[in-house]
This record gives sequence, C-alpha cells and structure tokens, in this order.
Amino acid sequence: MSEKKRIRRKIHHKGRSFLLVLSLLSLLVGGCWDDRELNELGIVSGSAYDWEDDQWKATYQVINPSSGSSSMGGSGGGSTSSPPFLTYTVKGSTIIQAVERTNLTSTRELFFSHSRVTVIGESLAKQGISQLVDLFLRRPDARETVYVFITEGEAGRILDQLMQLTKNQGAGIQLMIEQEAKLTSYFPGIQMYELAMQMTSDSGSTTVPEIKLTGNRVMDRTDDTAQTDLPSRIAFGRLGVLKEDRFVGWLSQREAFGLSFMTDKIKAANISFPSIPEKSDRDDASVTLLHSSTSVHPIWENDHYVMDIDIKAGAILTEIGSELDLEKASSMRQMERSIENNILEIIDNSWHAVKKLNADVTGFAVSIHRNHPKQWKRIKQEGSWDTVFQKVEIRPHVKVKIERIGLSGRSYKSLELK
Amino acid sequence: MKLKFLSNHKAASKPETVTASSRPLESSMDANVAEIKRRIGNSADVVFRSLSNPASGSPSLTFIYIDGLINADLVTQAVIQPLTDSQDLQEQGMENEKALLLIKEQILPVGGIKECKTVEILLSMLFEGNTIILLDGANTALAANTSGWETRSINEPTSQGVIRGPKEGFTESLRTGTSMLRRRLKNADLRVEEYKIGRRTQTGIALVYLYGIANEQVLAEIRKRLDAIDTDSILESNYIEELIEDGGMTPFPTILNTERPDAMAGGILEGQVGIIIDGTPFALLAPATFFSFFQSSEDYYQRYDISSFLRIIRFTAFFVSLLLPALYIAITTFHQEMLPTTLLISLASQREGIPFPALIEALIMELTFDVLREAGVRMPRAIGPAISIVGALVLGQAAVQAGLVSAAMVIVVSFTAISNFVIPSLAIANSIRLIRFLMMLIAGTMGLFGIMSFLMVLLIHMAGLQSFGIPYLSPVAPMKPRYLKDIILRMPMWKMKIRPSTYGSQEAPRQNLPAKEQQVSAKQSGPQGSENS
Repeated sequence: MSEKKRIRRKIHHKGRSFLLVLSLLSLLVGGCWDDRELNELGIVSGSAYDWEDDQWKATYQVINPSSGSSSMGGSGGGSTSSPPFLTYTVKGSTIIQAVERTNLTSTRELFFSHSRVTVIGESLAKQGISQLVDLFLRRPDARETVYVFITEGEAGRILDQLMQLTKNQGAGIQLMIEQEAKLTSYFPGIQMYELAMQMTSDSGSTTVPEIKLTGNRVMDRTDDTAQTDLPSRIAFGRLGVLKEDRFVGWLSQREAFGLSFMTDKIKAANISFPSIPEKSDRDDASVTLLHSSTSVHPIWENDHYVMDIDIKAGAILTEIGSELDLEKASSMRQMERSIENNILEIIDNSWHAVKKLNADVTGFAVSIHRNHPKQWKRIKQEGSWDTVFQKVEIRPHVKVKIERIGLSGRSYKSLELK
Repeated sequence: MKLKFLSNHKAASKPETVTASSRPLESSMDANVAEIKRRIGNSADVVFRSLSNPASGSPSLTFIYIDGLINADLVTQAVIQPLTDSQDLQEQGMENEKALLLIKEQILPVGGIKECKTVEILLSMLFEGNTIILLDGANTALAANTSGWETRSINEPTSQGVIRGPKEGFTESLRTGTSMLRRRLKNADLRVEEYKIGRRTQTGIALVYLYGIANEQVLAEIRKRLDAIDTDSILESNYIEELIEDGGMTPFPTILNTERPDAMAGGILEGQVGIIIDGTPFALLAPATFFSFFQSSEDYYQRYDISSFLRIIRFTAFFVSLLLPALYIAITTFHQEMLPTTLLISLASQREGIPFPALIEALIMELTFDVLREAGVRMPRAIGPAISIVGALVLGQAAVQAGLVSAAMVIVVSFTAISNFVIPSLAIANSIRLIRFLMMLIAGTMGLFGIMSFLMVLLIHMAGLQSFGIPYLSPVAPMKPRYLKDIILRMPMWKMKIRPSTYGSQEAPRQNLPAKEQQVSAKQSGPQGSENS
C-alpha cells in the first residue's frame, strides 16, 4: 500500500517537474524575434519631412558609428574622412511607406528611439502636420520628446548640414535649442508632445521655432568643416505659428520675445534699454533677467475681453554706458522704469503681430476657459473664438526690480568724467 | 522554535560490510600476532617488537606500532623502558591477568591506556598511533597512546585572508582545530563530540558547539545525518558537506566553510554548529543562511561604518557579478533605447566589424576567463606570471585589436570577474559563476524580461531553501526586523545588544549595559583618562 503511494507520489512529482520545465521552455518560444545587434542598427538622430508632388518626402539622418567613437569631436570633427552621419531621402504616399523604402537602399534597420529633432518643411506645414503627430504618438519606437522645428524651403537640406564641435547633428541641435531657451528665452523649444497638446488645447495654435542655414551652401562634406568660420551654419530664426495643424505665418525674434513674456516662458533673458531715456533713446545699458513670472487674468468688459497681464521680474545689471549714478535710489528707479517701458513695447509689438495672424498662440483661450467656464461654453458653442480673440485687448503691467548691479558700484563713464 | 527538516535521501544507502564480524583475542600471544599479521599483511611500516626473556621469569611481550604515527621517544621512554626495567614484573612470576593490570595501572607512565579485547579494536587503536602491548597468556591487549606524527604548523589562512585580525588558520590536524576553539571559548559549555566516519578512512570528525546556545533540534538533526553517513571515505570537508546538506538540487551552498578559527568561534557563539574534519583545514559551519556568506570575520575587526560600507560593496559586487554581462547583452540587443545616445553610439562604433552576436561574444569571453582562472590555479607557481601576461595582453588587448571582441565586452567581463572575488565566501562566488551563464543565455533570448523572470525564479527557489530547518533567507524572509542589524549593514557593537536567534538559538542579551549608559560612562571616564595621561 505504502509502496504504491510512494510510486504514485513519485509519478506526481515527475509530472510536476515536467510541467515546470515545459512552462519554462515555453518562455523561450518568445525567443529572440526582436533582437537587433548594435551593428545592424541605423541609429536615427533626426528626421525631416517635406511635402512634394502630393507625396511625403522624408529625410532620415543616420549616425555613422565608424566615423569615430565619440560624438563630441574635440578636434573639430574634420579629422575623419567618413562623415559622422548619412542621410536618406525617400518619398512615399504615407510616412511609413517612406520609412519602408529606406530599407531598399540602407544596410541597416532604422531605429528611431534616439531621434532628437524633427524638421518640418514649410510645404508640409502648410499642408497640415496632424498625420505626422499621430505617427509619433502611435509608434512605440518614435519618441514624443523630439524637438520640432520648421524651416522655410526644403527641410531635408537642414539635416545634410555638418556641425562643428558636435558630430551628432541631431543632438547638437537639441543642445542649441536647450541653451537658447535657458539663456535668451526668445522662444522655448517645443517637443512633439507639447506640440500635440497645444494643438488640441482650447487655443488650437502653437509656435514652432524656425531652423535655417545662415548661408546658401549646405556644408555636407567632411572637409567643409575644416575651417574656422563656416560660411553657412545652422541657426534659429523666427518663430513659426501653426493654427490647428497648419502653418499661418511667422513672428520675428522680437515678437517671439514678447510672446515669451506673455506666456511666462522667460527663464533668463537679456534686455537692452536706454539708461537715461530723457537724454537719448539709444540703448546703452543691459540687464539680465534672473527670474520672471507672468500671470494672466481675463476680465470681461462690456463687449470684449481684457487680458490683465502681470509680469514681475528681477534683474542684474550687466552693462552700462552712461554716467548714471548707481548709488542713488532714484536712478535705479529710473532704469527700472526704462526697462519696464521697453518690455511693454516688446509685448505690444508682439500682440499686434499675433492679432494679425489671428492665431491664439498666447493661450488666452485656456485662461478664459479656466476663469470664465460658462462664457467659454457659449463661445465654444457659437464657434466665435476667432472673432472674440480679435476684440481682445491686453493690459500688461510690468514690474522689474534691479536686484544686483554687479561688482562695480559706479559706472565707468562716471569715473572717466571726474 | 519548531523546525521542519527537508528529507535527506542521500545518506540512506545500504551499508556494505567490509570487515568480518569481530574476533576476540586469544590467550596465546603468538596466535594473536599471527592473526594481526594476517590482517595487515606485510606492511613495511608496522613494527613488531617482542620482548621475551624466559630466564628472568617475566612474561613475554610484543609491542606493535606503526612507524611514523608514533612518537619514537615516547615509545622508548614511556613504554619499552619501564617494561624492561620494571623489577616488579621480573620478580614475580605472576599470573598473566595480574601482570596486565600491573602494567596498566602502575608501570606505564603514559596518558591514555585502553584495553582491547577484539582484533578489530586493536587494529583501529593501532592505526590511531597507539602502541599495542600484547602479553603472552592474556586475552586482552593494551593500547598506550603514543601518537605523534608530522603536522603542518599553523599558518595564515590562504583562502580567507584579512588585514586586521587573527592570522592563524586551521591545520589538517583535528586536535589542533579543537584546541584553537578551546582557546577562544574558555567555557564549560563548549562541547566537542567526536565521530569516526568512513569505513576505510575512519576519519575523525568533531562536532563543536556551545551547549545551551546551539539549537537542540538542529544538533539532533546534524547528529542524525552524520550517523546516517555510510561511505568508505571522507577525505575533505566537502564529502561531509555534500552528504549532509539539505535539498541538494540547488546551486547555492547551505553549509558555510571556513579556514578561520575566529570565524568559527563567532558562528558558534551565534548558535551555529562547527564541524571540524581531520585531514583538512576547511571546517564547516551549519546551519548557514544566504547572508552569512557575505559576512567576513573582518567585519567585526573594523569600525562599523567601514564594515557597513564594505558590506554594501559586497552586495553590489554580488549583483554585478550575477547580472552585468546579462544586462549588457540584454540592453545592447533588445533595449537600445535605454542607453544615453552618446554611449549607444560609442558602443555601436566598437561593435562595428565584430563577427559575433553580443551573446556569443560574451560567452566566449566568460569562458576564456574561466579557463584562465582554472589555469592560474593549476599552474606551477614558477610559470604563474606568464599566464597573467598571456591573459591580459594576448586575450584582452590583442582580441580587441584584432576585432574579435569589443573593448566594452572586455571591460564588462573583467569587472564581472573582479566583482566575483569581492564576495568573502568562495562557495557562493562559485555558485554565482554558474548562474551567470544561465542568466546570459536567458538575457540573450528574452532580454530584460527574461532577466527579471529568472531573478524571480531564483528568489522563489532561495526562499524555499532550508539549512537544517533554518530558512535560507532568514532573517529577511521570514522578516525579523530585530535581527537585521548585522545583515546589510553592520551596526555598532553597542547597538547589537541581543544575540539574534537566526540559527535557531534562544534569543539572549549579549551586553547588559544599555547603550545610553555606556555612552555616559564613556563620557565620564573620558576626561579623567586624559588627565591621567
């Protein structure tokens, strides 16, 4: 009896371990279907999209790993003969078809997870970019954190351009926009997910920085970069405005700067202003804004909205060319007033441009929705935001305080005069 | 504390009889000598020395001893001389039985004398270094303890060195081992139980524990398993370890081995049972938990902050050693998006032109290292430096330059190998070495998902392990927060006030002073001390 039991238990035991082995082996069925060795990957660092002949024209920038192991070439990047990246330009009726067609010419499978920038050509931007945004949100390996740029003319050209100091152009452009947003605040870089969010927000408008080449030629040969002053470089220009998903126009850098004030996107900024406005209108002093905050309050006045824009900022004096006595409180107040007027002028300027484009890139719609939900419901039902927006009046108040004046207590000019 | 024991199938094999049933000694000395000679053959090292002087009236005697196992001076001075010089024995033509008693009680100035009544006992006494005295006409032989043989002197442990701390290690001699423990634990509760295991080797084994601290159930289980061993030979402690350890189908060791008497004393003080085996300097400590393999005796010889830091380093090294090659394979073949772009490009550029997939590359390099390591152990000492040159230059640098393996892979493999040596116990380091290969294969087929699943399986397996009834992962699983003071970190001595019952012992205070009073008294005595100096 007990012998039988033991045998039964043994069989039971065996059955269990068999099942265990089976279940472990079934894990292997998952196998290596999606494994990719590093030398089979084409690491895409940037992509560009144009619209040509009713077709998508996509350009992919693929990193060439054998051009040097470090992407930051200390020697200026001109030392190796093979280019740090290659570009593929393909056409297709859909974006995926274009991607697919690169496989006909490329030895490597395109790998988008490390893509940093996406450049949109003006031709495509006028056509509408919602399909592109959808692709980025849908594909698992496409990153929504890519920075989006817009360019006048053909977008693919931008990706051909070699950069100095940075071999990986996509990462280089990302660094550039991050530095720009941190140090000058003309326009914050916009990432794909932010773009998607703003386009679907109440305002329905968004801004995308322009990327361009400063010269006519594209520096796309490795020996082109072996010079100190490149005739043509990558640079940021104006700010492109998209309404819904279509391009409607440009804001100049100064107008974009004003927009940054209105939308609270100022991180650090330099402002030049006349230190003694009564004497001369010429800018002869600069401050760096250390911090700035903007609050917007919509007020309904009779028949239109008034946006109460409150800007508070602190600054450090960085440069002064007049003989102003910095030790006097009155002269400080005088400078602060001058800065405030300067900012007000910038904002006013910007507001006119925005109104002209009739694209609510200021995000006033969101603000009205939050503060006056009932009215917003009505506006939405009537679909009259565009007309309401045209009537919006802004009332900016700026308060700047010069918190520090730097290491020197008096201006050098005042020392000279003595 | 109730302990459950996993069944132990191994020791239960059927005994195979080697010797014939015991045979009593006869009263004729010649017959006895003939029987002994028949049994041991004409071995050159067995010495028969007979003393017969019919004229003097003293009974004829035969000494038997094994040359090399006895102290020759002792045999001459304490056995042969007293017997030949003894007036009593010569004068009285006494009966044999009485003469035997006389020799045993009065004549021989030797510490241990035992009577042997059968040939088998006689032989076993002989092989332990006793001198056998056969008396004509008596059916009992005397065995005088005259053992003494060449032993290695006490040296620094070679496999478990420390910077600060005692430098002596166990030797091959069982008695030296027990004496070293006695010197450290001068306590009546220290018990030494001796066993003879191995039908042919008759290896001496000592069970060393503190009575009242070691758990009785654990002790009983160890005794039971030792008693159940029926094997022909025990040549090293691993024979015992494999025969008495729990489970068996696990890569993890469940018995700790140590070369250090101080480590063993520490273990015994916490309730572990020491098993010292004659013929090897490696003694065993059971029960052992997973975390005990990461405790080095040096942890207690350095200040707690340093020790805690070193513990963390060790656990980190454990994970590095287990996971690094697997992670490298998984991330570079499945999850390239997880790497920073710059690193990815750097790795990709190194992999340009490498003919093998990352998994094969890693396997080749790991195997190469294991070959090197094994060669390093076997290599005659004089050629030792040659292997490091071959290993470092030819296999490392040249392989990278030839484009066979990537430089990153060499870094990964070397760091893994070095990490493996950080773990104080070689036993667990070796088990990780095996698991690592499995881990690499799984990482190469299933990526991070596979690694995570395999880690889960490992964890479940470890949680199910026991060492003599003690859960392998205790005191973490089952969690006993009070006993965690010496696991991941090593708390200051004054914080570890209770002896944890991790090994099944009764929880008891180690120190009577509460920490605060101690500090106060230290503060009070501080300035006085400085005044005196």
